[in-house]
Amino acid sequence: MSAKDNKDSPYIAFHQSVKFTFDGVKYKGFKGDTIASALIRNNIKIIGRSFKYHRPRGIYTCGIEEPNALVQILSEYSEPNTRATVKQIYEGLKIESQNRWPSLENDLSSVNNLLSPLFSAGFYNKTFMKPRGFWKKVYEPLIRKAAGLGKPPKPFKTKSTQLHHHVDIVIVGGGLSGLLAAKSLAKTKLKVLLIEQDSYLGGILKNSNKISTIESKDRASWIKDVETEIEYSKNIKVLKNTLATTYNYINYLIAIEDLTTGMMPLEGHADQILHKIRADHIILANGHIERLISFRNNDLPGIMLAGSFEKYIQRYGVIPNISPVIFSNNSSSFSLIKILIDLNCKPQAYVDSRSGDKIESSLLDIIHKENIPLFTNAHVEGCDGKKQVEEISIRDSEGIITKLKSKMLCISGGFNPDVHLFTQSKGVLTWDDKYLTFKPSKSFQNTIVIGSAGGLFQYSKLANDIDSKLSFLNHEPIVNINFELNESDNYSIEKLWETKHEKKSRWSKSFIDLQNDVTTKDLRQGIREGFDRIEHLKRFTTNSMGTDQGKISSINALGIVSEILNKKVSEVGTTIYRPPYAPLSFASIAGRSTYNFYDPERKTSIHEWHKKNGAVFENVGQWKRPWYFQSYLEENLDQAVQREALQIRKYAGVLDGSTLGKIEIKGSDALEFMNLMYTNNFSKMKPMSARYALMLGEDGMIMDDGIISKINDNHFIATTTTGGAAKVLSHMEEFSQTEWPHLNVFMNSITEQFCTFNISGPKTRLIMEKVFKHIKFDNESFPFMTFNNFTYLDSTIRILRASFTGELGYEIYVRPSIALKLWEDLFRFGKDEGLIAYGTETMHLLRAEKGYIIVGQDTDGSVTPQDMDLEWMIGKSKKDFIGKRSLTRSDTIRSDRKQLVGIKPINQKNIIEEGQHIILSSNVKPPVKMLGHVTSSYMSPNLGHSFGMAVIKDGKNLIGSRAYVSSSSRDAYEVEIMKSVFIDDENKRLVS
Amino acid sequence: MLIINCPYCGPREQCEFTNGGEAHVARPSDPEKVSDKEWSEYVFFRSNPKGIYFERWVHSHGCKKWFNAVRDTSTDKVLKVYEIKDEKPSLADLENSNLTTPSGEPEVGSGNFTVRKI
Amino acid sequence: MKKKYSIFNIARNAFSNHENWQKMWRSPEPKKNYDVIIIGGGGHGLGTAYYLAKEHGLTNIAVIEKGWLGGGNTGRNTTIIRSNYLWDESANLYEHSLKLWEGLTHDLNYNVMFSQRGVMNLAHTEHDIKEIKRRVSANTLNGIDSKWISKEEIKKLVPIMNTDNLRYPVLGASFQPRGGTARHDTVAWGYAMRADEMGVDIIQNCEVHKILTENGKVIGVETSKGIIQSKKVGVVASGHTSVLAESAGIRLPLQSKPLQALVSEPIKPVIDTVVMSNAVHAYVSQSDKGELVIGAGTDGYNSFTQRGGFDVVENTIRAMVELYPVFGKMKMLRQWGGIVDISPDASPIISKCDIQGLYFNCGWGTGGFKATPGSANVFAHTVAKNEPHSINAAFSLDRFVSGKLVDEHGAAAVAH
Repeated sequence: MSAKDNKDSPYIAFHQSVKFTFDGVKYKGFKGDTIASALIRNNIKIIGRSFKYHRPRGIYTCGIEEPNALVQILSEYSEPNTRATVKQIYEGLKIESQNRWPSLENDLSSVNNLLSPLFSAGFYNKTFMKPRGFWKKVYEPLIRKAAGLGKPPKPFKTKSTQLHHHVDIVIVGGGLSGLLAAKSLAKTKLKVLLIEQDSYLGGILKNSNKISTIESKDRASWIKDVETEIEYSKNIKVLKNTLATTYNYINYLIAIEDLTTGMMPLEGHADQILHKIRADHIILANGHIERLISFRNNDLPGIMLAGSFEKYIQRYGVIPNISPVIFSNNSSSFSLIKILIDLNCKPQAYVDSRSGDKIESSLLDIIHKENIPLFTNAHVEGCDGKKQVEEISIRDSEGIITKLKSKMLCISGGFNPDVHLFTQSKGVLTWDDKYLTFKPSKSFQNTIVIGSAGGLFQYSKLANDIDSKLSFLNHEPIVNINFELNESDNYSIEKLWETKHEKKSRWSKSFIDLQNDVTTKDLRQGIREGFDRIEHLKRFTTNSMGTDQGKISSINALGIVSEILNKKVSEVGTTIYRPPYAPLSFASIAGRSTYNFYDPERKTSIHEWHKKNGAVFENVGQWKRPWYFQSYLEENLDQAVQREALQIRKYAGVLDGSTLGKIEIKGSDALEFMNLMYTNNFSKMKPMSARYALMLGEDGMIMDDGIISKINDNHFIATTTTGGAAKVLSHMEEFSQTEWPHLNVFMNSITEQFCTFNISGPKTRLIMEKVFKHIKFDNESFPFMTFNNFTYLDSTIRILRASFTGELGYEIYVRPSIALKLWEDLFRFGKDEGLIAYGTETMHLLRAEKGYIIVGQDTDGSVTPQDMDLEWMIGKSKKDFIGKRSLTRSDTIRSDRKQLVGIKPINQKNIIEEGQHIILSSNVKPPVKMLGHVTSSYMSPNLGHSFGMAVIKDGKNLIGSRAYVSSSSRDAYEVEIMKSVFIDDENKRLVS
Repeated sequence: MLIINCPYCGPREQCEFTNGGEAHVARPSDPEKVSDKEWSEYVFFRSNPKGIYFERWVHSHGCKKWFNAVRDTSTDKVLKVYEIKDEKPSLADLENSNLTTPSGEPEVGSGNFTVRKI
Repeated sequence: MKKKYSIFNIARNAFSNHENWQKMWRSPEPKKNYDVIIIGGGGHGLGTAYYLAKEHGLTNIAVIEKGWLGGGNTGRNTTIIRSNYLWDESANLYEHSLKLWEGLTHDLNYNVMFSQRGVMNLAHTEHDIKEIKRRVSANTLNGIDSKWISKEEIKKLVPIMNTDNLRYPVLGASFQPRGGTARHDTVAWGYAMRADEMGVDIIQNCEVHKILTENGKVIGVETSKGIIQSKKVGVVASGHTSVLAESAGIRLPLQSKPLQALVSEPIKPVIDTVVMSNAVHAYVSQSDKGELVIGAGTDGYNSFTQRGGFDVVENTIRAMVELYPVFGKMKMLRQWGGIVDISPDASPIISKCDIQGLYFNCGWGTGGFKATPGSANVFAHTVAKNEPHSINAAFSLDRFVSGKLVDEHGAAAVAH
């Protein structure tokens, strides 16, 4: 007995055949088929192997809830764990089964099934402990090798995009309830988004035979009419092939649209859209999910949920088996029986756990009429078969077992409202004693749940349900709607979570979680061991932790646990569903903000010049800064830096300092504000002069530094470190707005309004005089730490006499539009004087030679100005500034804190490495007492040896003594501790 | 993601804002006069209530203005936003936060007894 | 009776169809009075009870848990274990913990699946390199197995990593081979079982409403199951610690913020070590089930909702896709949030306070799991002796007054 096509289905293009391969064998399906429906058409039963026991598994459902039929897509990017029940086939699609070796038919790991009595819950935690060394070398590698289902995907760059929506209403689910809601909102002014996961609207109308006619129309025409009406209304947008996955706070819904349903996704194209939706109200009309019943071997291929079986017939036009046995504890299988009879595929038997008097008479009538073997008050005790169902054992009320030879068993354990999204929204559930399921009760957001998603299983009450819940929107009432049904309007169900095993074998298994191979026995054991709350038990047994998140079985687990504990289900607890509803690809979450668009690159106005002139760049925050300039192609960092550093102390060099933060501070209280923000006292500073300044946090630790230029008491310009620019500005804004709003002061970032060039070296004055012929640069006209505005190319520029390097130097602030011209001018006139461009590494070296600190390198958030020997920068006469009070706490006034010193190796061949530690002896056998660490170190061409700066405990007092410094080669070298200024202690060069 | 109603720009997604911690924490007017302990209270100690919380936000990717908000940290619901210069709102003026078990927790174990309510 | 676990014991149980397993712990009703009450039945709290009983001979102890054992941050974290911290104080604490991890399975006779697969911290900028090398040097001198590895060595350990064609190229990394992961739940279960065997009462589903004090001394706690007396109370309640402290009039420098994590679908082994990147804020390891376990950053505001913003998840995923091109088409299976209590210097507080008999173990921020055994061990010492163990002396509350912080975010530049 095998599968058969049902050509009545309007959703499958039977005239368009599609070829695909599964495990290397070619098959044929039709356009519109999912992998599952196509494989069913080809009578393929075994699709994969289970996670733990490697038992053969088939297709259990017909949708997103599928726990078993997961496959690897070999074409495209080798997507693992793809639901065969969702993914549509296309010409040339290559599919492979998962978690088996060497083949699906003969999987060697199925030996696990023989050992299964041992693989009880908590197995891993109770064993693999002896012999002691075996865990790391033997057991762990074995366990880890067995991990996972599918193989990792291949790299595949897509242009998956994201779309934002701001709407009044979102309707999740384009089934019967969703369509009715949409229809009733079609005439309103509300902006509505309707989301449907399938390629077609209709839900239960499309997937089943339950409703024969609606408003006197056949199902397909009714759907078509409503869809036309919605389209015509223009206030409703419909998204098909779109699955709502995540319901966040403030009605923020994430939905994923598949743009390549039934098509091959191509690299470099958009294959998905992640919709980010904010809605005033979210209407959940996402229906219900059928659940299983646990019995012996309820995982064998050939067992399928009854509703799914019906969906294959109606939606996919394939009858999985022309003569199944049906087993149910509820009234819902009537429509399936009816369609099977209509299609001339009479069920082999009908087994109902309910007693005859409780079964609907209409159902009994048709069964009797068609002479279908009927078992009432009966259970399927179990199934047997080697790789699929071959024999079904049915136990009647007297305990007599009847064995039926059959290859197909359809089961229905009842329905759960699909509350996944509702619980994500933090909504509260309540237990429904009639339908034996959880249903939404209280929502915490603007959530409306309608239809079966809300626990309503009666068509006759649907119109009223929707009308009453949507009335506040002034919708067009539905009032009434007539249905002709192929089932009872009174859905009834009897409690049955699990049937009793007849033969008690240590190998028999009733599964509760098919994907994770969790059995009802595991649940019992967990409870026995003390895991009596459902969330706790879930972690012990891994129940409902698979890719399906237990959609068809988590309520069953609750039911079983509540029976064992003899408690009400509501006392056992509800399962918390974590988002997303179904797995969501990383690429879709990342969207376009990756690859080239991961993080913007900030470049200075003369970036291209740097590139042309051999610059090697480094990332400093988002900025691209020249790290060093290659004078020839093979020149490496060390060579370039040695060359650059020598050249500047001898001639001149210019650094593109445009990345330094620049903030303009203005206002009648600017002076007072600056005095509060920085440690220095700016009061007595003359206008048009500048000062090196320190900024602290309230904890007294150095936060940033820079040069403050005072135009007058109401107007300052501050520079900041490249990385600290944004932080310093927001720090200033924060205090000016929140702490001292009475101060009249405003600040603005002007980092990108000016380029800054730092030129320094003994030849600098000569060059500057050539470039700016009208400006006097002698010491008298232009003293150290003063600045002025000048005109250059009809534009105002600012020149500040200051230096990073300890040499005579100037900083030129110039508009970006003429920056390159000026830069080139510097070289036009400076080249003959030996001017070179240099990068950050040389800048660091030159600064270190002078003992100038770099915030963030020589400081780390744990040093005060005193620690850095910068006490002279603290305006002692100032009553207050940020961080001042913290400098006098018991720990900050300790005299033996870590303090900045210089170090040089006694043996000049030794190279001091940054980040190494100052220690007391050459013994590096741990643990070694550390005095502090090397914050900066360089090979100095000007000194002829390696040197460094370090922060060490009681450093000031240790100056003149010797210590050792560790190295990456696990040696230690002797060093001399000295003051941290290595060149020109008297600053003669600076003011030359 | 939360939505924060900037008093100057209107409601915007929270990723446009930066949180500035507890509001109405006054900086000692004369830091030299306070003890180490009092100073540490200002620098390091902030309230951390579950429930009604007065906090600061800055519209860092917008108008860059600082403002205050009252938010229920047990639900994340923002109950009020107000300008820095405004008085600290009286709790009586706020809409009740209608709290039960917003995280879907069972009654015992929610920690909600601790919620500072209006 | 002590439960002994082994393959033979499982086989015996298999014969009885797994119907004779003993309860791992009792479910006692609380007594009126205990010598010590520990608030919080996560790994740290249960471990504290275990070490109090095992090493300090105190067995009249109650661990009070509002939900179920290990249901808070113990069961929500990304399970990374390492000890490569910068400062001596932190290095000592986390290394103490790592050493305990190395013997924990045997100590508990319960396999916590401690997997020493190595932990890597990536450097993406010159600045990162400097900071990581400094940390490696400090670790080496402290006897911690941390080393600097080159890009080529990274590639060998993690072939799927994209080191070159990304916005912030990978320039090198620190690597601690003894670091790794453990199965988070089992740590709580193992401690609970063994503590219970020694007489500790583990009271689940019981919520502490108030810490009771009298004349500056602790006298007990008020719970949903009534008042329970004790002269010593240890609070190990992570996100809710400051709320409980407030009930005793103690102010802690903590802020509770959402921290999110996520797992992918299970796939066959693809990444063999733990890889952390602070610069692009993403860390990942692969669980024994095959899921990629990925940690995101904290949300920037206080919240007790156990829920963060989707934007934080997006940022993390973007970094993952940058670093690992094969992850582009991986799928996120579950995401969730927890509440972490963050201290001003990103270091924990394991300390006495002004109230006699009241002790706090908190402020673990985003990195508490790795410290579980060490934290529990020194906290038990602190509670039993009423003075800190030498290892946690630096982690007192006083440090915020004196200024002697153990600042682990400034210098270490390492996501916890």
